[in-house]
Amino acid sequence: MFSHPSEMVLLGFFLALSLLALARNRLPLPTPVSIYLPYLWTFFLTFTLGTLVSPRVGIWVLAILSFLALREYFTLVDLRIQDRWGVLAAYLAVPFLYYYIHSDWYGMFVISLPVYAFLVIPFAVALGGREAQGSVFSVGVVQLGLFLLVYCIGHVAYLSVYTVWAAAFLVGGVALCDLSAYLFRARDRTPLRSLLLQVLAPAPVVAGLGLALGPWSGVPWVHSVALGILIPALVTTGCFTIDHLEEDLGIERSRLRPGRGEILNSLKSFLYTAPVVFHYLRYFLEAF
Amino acid sequence: MEEESASPKGSRDLPRGADSGPHVGSPIPPHRTLTLQALVHFFLVRPLLKLLFGVGVEGKENLAGLEQFILVANHNSHLDTLFLFQILPPHLVTTTHPVAALDYFSKNRVLFAVARFLFRPVWITRGDREGDSLEGMRERLRAGRSIILFPEGTRGEPGEMARFRKGIGRLAVEFPGVPIVPAYLAGAEKALPKSSSVPLPVWTRVVVGLPQRFRGTAGEITAALEGLVRELEALETGRRHRRLRRPSSIPTVAVLGIDGSGKSTLSRELARLLSTSGRVCLVSDVVEFFEGGEPSRVQPLVTEALRQVIGRRAKTARSLKSYKIPKLAELLLRDHVLEEMKRWYAPDLVVSDGCPLLNMTAWARLYRDEEPDDGLLASAMGILSGREKGSRGDRVFKEFPELMALERLPIPHLHCPEAVLFLDVDPAVSVERIGARGETMQVHETREKLARLRDGYRSVCRVLERDWRIPVRTLDGHRPMDEVTRAALRAFREMGVVEKSGQRKPNDDGVGTAGGGRPSLPGAIPEPPGTMPEPPGTMPEPPGTMPEPPGTTPEPPPDGEPAGGRKPHA
Repeated sequence: MFSHPSEMVLLGFFLALSLLALARNRLPLPTPVSIYLPYLWTFFLTFTLGTLVSPRVGIWVLAILSFLALREYFTLVDLRIQDRWGVLAAYLAVPFLYYYIHSDWYGMFVISLPVYAFLVIPFAVALGGREAQGSVFSVGVVQLGLFLLVYCIGHVAYLSVYTVWAAAFLVGGVALCDLSAYLFRARDRTPLRSLLLQVLAPAPVVAGLGLALGPWSGVPWVHSVALGILIPALVTTGCFTIDHLEEDLGIERSRLRPGRGEILNSLKSFLYTAPVVFHYLRYFLEAF
Repeated sequence: MEEESASPKGSRDLPRGADSGPHVGSPIPPHRTLTLQALVHFFLVRPLLKLLFGVGVEGKENLAGLEQFILVANHNSHLDTLFLFQILPPHLVTTTHPVAALDYFSKNRVLFAVARFLFRPVWITRGDREGDSLEGMRERLRAGRSIILFPEGTRGEPGEMARFRKGIGRLAVEFPGVPIVPAYLAGAEKALPKSSSVPLPVWTRVVVGLPQRFRGTAGEITAALEGLVRELEALETGRRHRRLRRPSSIPTVAVLGIDGSGKSTLSRELARLLSTSGRVCLVSDVVEFFEGGEPSRVQPLVTEALRQVIGRRAKTARSLKSYKIPKLAELLLRDHVLEEMKRWYAPDLVVSDGCPLLNMTAWARLYRDEEPDDGLLASAMGILSGREKGSRGDRVFKEFPELMALERLPIPHLHCPEAVLFLDVDPAVSVERIGARGETMQVHETREKLARLRDGYRSVCRVLERDWRIPVRTLDGHRPMDEVTRAALRAFREMGVVEKSGQRKPNDDGVGTAGGGRPSLPGAIPEPPGTMPEPPGTMPEPPGTMPEPPGTTPEPPPDGEPAGGRKPHA
């Protein structure tokens, strides 16, 4: 059944994570952790399916996650009735992007959204609107959501098509950063100390994870160490940015729920990390 | 589903299954829990709706344990009935009937057949007398069935809730034993609004309030019920994202008065009270932002910090001459801060403690022995606000030489408020009040100078009202502050700056109405303390008349607000 020991390890980890996610409401877990677990589980479902069945099957799980995140985003933002065609175009861009990941067509994957979808959306908004006022705002809002929640998450999917273990390293590294940020959060620290702590505290652990997974992921030790610094820095940057956007979207972190910021909040650490790590690995590692 | 609309249409060409007796209704189906209708709901409709629209529910427990009820909700979309069926306990799917407009559904036989199969509605014909249209509902209620009713009568504009019609009140009077459950549907107006035919996946949410029973007249009950649904709406949409509005469309109200008149206290109190239904920015000695009746964080602005420093400097000036420049600079910066706040915080309303334009003009009186005539003041205000262009030889520049310098400075024109409250106080009382504060008296805080200043403000108000058509109300500042506050709120209503409770004004800049449906101004003025009447039509519930099964009352959230709405009236 298993062609490689790594598959057994991944399945074992996935099963353990599944049990934890299922029992999260009965375990004395902190609320942020129990909210975060199902989304982490979704990533590992992708990787497990990718390993045991086919990477091309696994990526569609992330396509659904992108769709759900986009749906939440469009619920939160203030759009006009006449922007509905633009929103529809954004939804259609989800299978459009993931089809190119499925086909392993890197060139189209990279330009599909920033070129084609981003040209179609303003057209669709213009098509639906008699009222021009506010159209620039609408186009910006739709494109931002599409970029963050589909394009950026799509990079995790594409990385898992290249190598599941590199994607697992990325997701595991981000999860460790989030855990570290949760554990080391303190109000009395100065912003600079807090920032340094958020970047430096998880760095050795993330680098260690990269080194441990190196034989399976194919990431050389020097790049594991570099990513050990890069991933926490990107997570911190991403969280800072998305927190700012969440404030505007009216997301109350104390009352997260699906449709009112839970998905966006749980994915925020991945949004900046996924594309940068993907392109880092693709640039430096010839295997990609 | 549409109900009770006023458009008169006959019940011609009725499809099969809809008889046209004195009231239009279909026979009451026998009560069976497991039917094909229920199976289609559970295995097809519910999963599909969950996938596409999420359909989150808050207060679902408020329906558990009820065998019969009238579910009342706002109506924005054809999907509303589907969403309400999604939250029903399984055994109630076959015994709950929405009210639907036959003339609308009979236009399309497929739609009619689907609606009849999925919901077994109570068909009504729009244009019938209300008594006739209620007959079908009465029959179902007498048979122990539940109904779903949209008292707005028809799908309204997206995100806007129309006034409830009285049919629900009549039913409540006739069936006092049937609990009425208010619910608010959010998101459906984005998913499939009126005039759209393609549904878009958007998270929808149903907030179910606590079951209620009412006593009173139909009108009172209807109003009370509408209030409950609006409360649920406020809970759900309170902190929604919205587009930035153009700063020019955000109204400013200025509170004028001499030092010690209580204008700062009044401004702050007004900002706090008005913020219960909107976002209000207060520009006073400090800048504050109020939302939900509470002050909230304001990002530090460089201009504001500078204004504070210069303002302190002005307060410590020892002569009117050394007071003039820092005060002028402080007023210019205050005007800039006001613009910044409008630009970055997009409040619904700005309450300004004083007004740079009006203060500058009124303060001219302080430096002159004789009172300038109104024409001169109007010219000065026109130049400062950019309404008028002056030339070098004009009398106004000779009388007010500073005006020439101000016009030459590369500063934007000063803003004029949309309404003004003048808090009139005797200078002697003012001086007494300032003395009682125990603070160092400013250079102009003498009885004589404050009297001049008072004259200046009076002249400015006169010009504003007569020449500029800006509403001005003079309030008696000798009265206690709560009385003054009440009078100020009444004045706001009269001036049309904000509207009467519960009535919302359409967005004046034409953007940002979808989804959130926020009012352009605070839509509801809270009644000042002591004048808030009990909601009409709500009477204490006799103990034991509606046995609530254990667990039906939701746990209040940490902030003390009952989940899913207000507690049953008691």
